[in-house]
This record gives sequence, C-alpha cells and structure tokens, in this order.
Amino acid sequence: MAFNYDYYLRTDKMPTLWCWGCGDGIIMKAMIRAFAKLGWDKNDICIVSGIGCSGRFSSYIDANTVHTTHGRTVAYATGIKLANPDKHVIVVAGDGDGLAIGGNHTIHGCRRNIDLNFVLINNFIYGLTNSQVSPTTPKGAWSVTTQYGNIDPTFDPAELAKGAGATFIGRESVAEAQKLERLFIKGFQHKGFSFFDVHSNCHVNFGRKNKLANAKKNMDWIEERLVPKAKWDKLSPQEQYELKKQGKFPRGVLYQVEEPEYCEEYYKLIDRVRGNS
Amino acid sequence: MALNVDFRLKAPANTPVWVDEAKCKSCELCVEFCPTGVLEMIPDPHNILGQMVKVTHPEYCIGCKECELECPDFCIFVAERDEYKFKKLNEVKKLKGEA
Repeated sequence: MAFNYDYYLRTDKMPTLWCWGCGDGIIMKAMIRAFAKLGWDKNDICIVSGIGCSGRFSSYIDANTVHTTHGRTVAYATGIKLANPDKHVIVVAGDGDGLAIGGNHTIHGCRRNIDLNFVLINNFIYGLTNSQVSPTTPKGAWSVTTQYGNIDPTFDPAELAKGAGATFIGRESVAEAQKLERLFIKGFQHKGFSFFDVHSNCHVNFGRKNKLANAKKNMDWIEERLVPKAKWDKLSPQEQYELKKQGKFPRGVLYQVEEPEYCEEYYKLIDRVRGNS
Repeated sequence: MALNVDFRLKAPANTPVWVDEAKCKSCELCVEFCPTGVLEMIPDPHNILGQMVKVTHPEYCIGCKECELECPDFCIFVAERDEYKFKKLNEVKKLKGEA
C-alpha cells in the first residue's frame, strides 16, 4: 500500500505549478511523510512561506498557512509561535527569500532560539524571477546578472545559522528523499530553532546555461558537492577549508544542542512579572 | 498523540507500480532513478513535453520505491510487499540475461 498524501494536501489545486522535476515537490512529500510519522494533526501545523517558488508550499499543504511578504517569513512565524506555543510552525523559504532579502530576520530567529522549523530550499539561484544571482550561487556559475561567470564568494548557510545561535542544523539534498525525511523527523522533534539547508535542483533556470538542463543531471551535481558528516569529521581543519573553497559541504545532522527555548522563557517572564509563580 | 487517519493507498490487483497520468509532467526522474528499468518514456503528442511515462516491464520491479520517493508530482505509486511479490535483484538480472 503506497502512501496516501491526500490528508495533508489541497488536492483541488493539483497538479502543482512548479516545473517538471522540481525538487520542491520532493521536499513537500518528505515533509508530509514526516508529519504523518510524527502523528501531527493538520490543525496543529502552521506553514509560513514567503515569495518565490517555495511560496507555493502554503497553497498546496492543507494546514494553517500564511503566504507572507518577501523575506519576512521568520518575522511572521515568530508572532504566530509566540501566540500559539503549542502549534508546530514550519517556515519554508528559498535561498533568496531566507538569506538575501530576509537574511536579517533569519539570523535573529536563530539568535532567539524560538521553536521554529526553518526549511531553506537552496537551489543556488533566484528561480521564480528567471535566474538572477543569489547569495549561494557557486563561483563561476552563469546567471542573468552574472553573464560572464559569478565572481561573488558564496557563503555557508549552516555556519551562519550556527554562528547566529540555532540549536539544530541539518543539511540534505533532494536526491536522497528517505534521508531528507529522517532529517525532518529529527529536526521537527527538536525543541528550539531547527535550521534545514536542503539543496534542491533548478534545472530550468539554474541549469539551462550551466550544462545541467536535466533534473537528474542537476541532482547528480548536487550529490557530488555533498560529503557525509562522518567522513567530514575525520578531515583536518585545513582539508575542510580547502573542500569548502571547492564548494563542498558536509551533509546530515551537523549540530545539535539543548538551549533554553524562547517561548518558554517568555511565558516564564510573564508569570514572574505578574507574580503568579 | 495518535492521528486517526489511514495513510495507506490500496494497490490495484497484481500491480507493482502504477502512474496517475493526469498529474504527471513527464520529468523523467522516475525513469532515471529506477535501478532495473521498469519504466520507460513513450512519445505521446497529447502530453506536456511530448512524452509520457509507461510501466513497460512490471516483472523487473524489486520494490525499492525510489520512483515513488523521488516523484515531485504525487503521481507514481509502488505496492507494499504484502500486496505484490517483488522479484529479487539477482532474479531480475537472470530475467534480463545479465547474470
């Protein structure tokens, strides 16, 4: 018996508006399987998404959904979580939405360690608006705004989240849907800010002039850039630095610690000031 | 906290893999991910991108579910092990004349 996704979907909006072979659908499926395995009721889930192809998540998943302004996903989600601390809030943002326009909100969400699940769909380009350069575009890659190759250095979103204070950081790619599902299950159960850097394919807008114009080819390229966490840990800091310069990243659960959660601290503060405790 | 929803989708009788062609966008991901060659793209002028996925060799299916997991459009499904008796990988190789 195959898995039936219909409980969590708005089936009247299907088929999806995404391009053929888009990784967003694979991430959505992995997310829904994680919800089902955790036994979360759809009325207890809130999906917050911004602008971009990832913004369609709030249209297709049949839960409490908010389609917000560009880059302000974490700001909206913080309000939702503080008002409803018993609900599970999932933030879905693309690399342009979460790192460029909303970068400031992302780092402050990480710093507060509020119990949000931030899924960063990293496809290395601004896909919806036709291939402009994004903060994670690899060096030398073609985009509409870098016609002769990108010279901007790229940064590592997982290191940014770690530095800002997120307490769960994971990275996975769409080519390994089962591993992605397991990562989601681990991260959704974590109390505190969970940051997922999911490498996704955009063979239509990123691949068309970077010789990756096929979904599988693009996924193979993503897989080449990822090194398992166990293998990565055995390398010396110098070797890790050199691999990062070549654009290779570790995959798996990269970082997990227990820290005081923001909502709990906030409600404790209210009790203390009112003299209830 | 248990959720009282049945997430199981019943397979048609004696079918290892089936495709919902109304949702399929012919992206070829299932064909590329299948390790044994169960699926094939058939030219079809009435569909988007001029092709449609067809289950041409159901007897090769080993039930790895790679196609179901990687399909972005919710349109390909694989039966459970209690519904269909999948072949082992070495049996498929024998069938293809590779072993």
